Amino acid sequence: MTALQADATDTTVTRTQTRLPGASLGTAGIVVLRILLFVLILGALEIFPWPASAKLWMIKPSAIVQTVWAWFVEGLVWRHLSATLVTMSLGYVTGCVLGICGGLLLGLLPRVNRTLTPFLAAANALPKIALAPLLIIVFGLGYASKVPLVAATVFFLVLSSTLDGVKSADLDTLDCMKIMGATRAEQIYKVLFPSALPWVFMGMRISVRYAFTNTILAELIGANSGLGYLIESHASQFDATGTYAAVLILVIVSVSLTEILVKLENLMTKRR
Amino acid sequence: MSDSHPGAMISLRDAGKQFSSRGMTLRALEPLSLDVAPRELVAIVGPSGCGKSTILNLIAGLLCPSEGTVQYDGSEVTRPNVRVGYMTQKDTLLPWRNVRDNVGLALELKIRRTSRGAAASRIAEMIDLVGLKGFERHYPGELSGGMRKRAALARTLIYEPETLLMDEPFGALDAQLRLLMMDQLQRLTQARRITVVFVTHDLGEAIALADRVVIMSARPGRIRRIRDVPLPRPRDIFRLRFTAEFARLYEELWDELKDEVAKGTDN
Repeated sequence: MTALQADATDTTVTRTQTRLPGASLGTAGIVVLRILLFVLILGALEIFPWPASAKLWMIKPSAIVQTVWAWFVEGLVWRHLSATLVTMSLGYVTGCVLGICGGLLLGLLPRVNRTLTPFLAAANALPKIALAPLLIIVFGLGYASKVPLVAATVFFLVLSSTLDGVKSADLDTLDCMKIMGATRAEQIYKVLFPSALPWVFMGMRISVRYAFTNTILAELIGANSGLGYLIESHASQFDATGTYAAVLILVIVSVSLTEILVKLENLMTKRR
Repeated sequence: MSDSHPGAMISLRDAGKQFSSRGMTLRALEPLSLDVAPRELVAIVGPSGCGKSTILNLIAGLLCPSEGTVQYDGSEVTRPNVRVGYMTQKDTLLPWRNVRDNVGLALELKIRRTSRGAAASRIAEMIDLVGLKGFERHYPGELSGGMRKRAALARTLIYEPETLLMDEPFGALDAQLRLLMMDQLQRLTQARRITVVFVTHDLGEAIALADRVVIMSARPGRIRRIRDVPLPRPRDIFRLRFTAEFARLYEELWDELKDEVAKGTDN
C-alpha cells in the first residue's frame, strides 16, 4: 500500500511541477529530498544537547543503530525474529484454512448460519487480544498461547469475508443452473465457490496485517521470545536504547512485510 | 376457462401465487389458467409488477403455486424443470468464464455429460449460429449488451431444451439490436421447433414474434385478454411494423393494455 501511495503522490507532484516552469523536480529529486530530510532529522537528534533529565528516554540514533548491529552480529535477534514470524505464519495459515472452510460451510447451511449468528457476532466483536492473558494461563508463554490468538483473529476476518462471498453469488445465475439441471454439488463448485473467491482473497489480504499486529501485541503481554518480547523486556529494565533498537527492527520487518504483500498483490492482479 | 387441452405442453390450471413476508401477504398472481401448445410461441404482455415473471418461474419450477396446478407435458411441476431453458432478464453469464466456456456450461453437467470433442464442435456451431465467432475467448465484461444476450441464448439453446422461457430477453437493448435479436430468435426457434413463452412489456415485440399474445392486468395479475396473431410465418421482423395487419392488431391490443398500464403506474 505504501509503495502505491508513494507512486501516486509522485505522479501528482510531477504533474503539478510540469505546470510551473523552471521548477521541474523529477522522482529523483524527491528521493534526494527524502534522504536529506532523513539525514537532517537523525543529525539533529544526534547533536541536540538534551538536558540530563531527558537522558533516560532520549537516545542518540547512533547508539540505537549500534545496538541493532550488535544484536545482528551476536545473533540474538534471529531467535526473536523467527519466533514472531513463525507465530504469525502458523496462526495466519490456521486461521485462513479454518476461516475459509467455516465460511463456505455457513454459506451453504443458512439455517446453521442463522442459529450461530449472535454467537459469531459476539466472538467477532470481542478484541481477540483480550484473551491473551487467559491463553497464557492455559498454554504458557510459548507458541501454544500465541498461535491460537493469531489464528482466532484471522479466522473471524476470513470467515466473514468468505461468508459474504458465498452470499454474493447471483441468485438468478443459481436459478439458471438449476434449470440447466445442475446438481447441488455442481451449483456449489461451478458458481458459489468461484463467486466467493475474490472475497476470500480480500479477507486473506486484510488479515495479514491483523495477524502481525496481534502477534506483536500477544508477545508484549507475555512471552519468552519474539519482537514484542524484545521490546517489552528492554522497556521493563528501563533500557531505552534496547527498546528503540527493538522497535527499529519491528519497523524494518513490518515495512518489508508490507512491501512483499504489495508485490504479491500486483503479481496476482496482473495474472488475473 | 377450465377446459383442459389434452395436448398442451404447458398447462396452468387456476394457478396463483402469493408471497408472505413479515406478516404481510402480497398477491403476485390471481389464479389463472393458460395452455400453451407444443411449438407454440406465446408472449405475455403487461404492466410491470403484474406477475409476468411469476408465471415463468412457476413453469420453470422455481416457484410452487399457492393454489391451483402447473403441469408440464402432462405431469405436475414440483421441482426445477430441467426440460426447459430459462433466459432471465439479466444475462447471468459467469463473469470468470469466457464466451466459449459459458456457452459450453450445460454440457459439463452430469445430467448431460458430453465428451470434450463433441462439446467443442457443438459449442463452435452454437457460437457461429448466434454470430459470436471470433469472440470465443472474450469474457462477458468485454462484450456489449447485445453480445452478452446472444451468448446467453447460445448457452441456453446448446442443450436443446424443448421449451424456452424468456423474461424480457431484449429489454435492455437498443431498438435496432432488438429487431436483429428478434429475427434471430424467430429463425432459431422455428428451425428447432421449440415451444416459447416469453414475457415483455413491449407490445410490438409480442405481436411480431408470438402466435398468441396474452395481455395481463395490473397487479394482482389476471389474464385480461388472449389474442391470436394470425400473421403468416416466416415473418419479416424488420418490415412487419409497417403492415396494415400489424397496425390493426397493435391498436386493438393497445386499447386493452393502456388501461392496465395506467392502473399500474397509479399505485
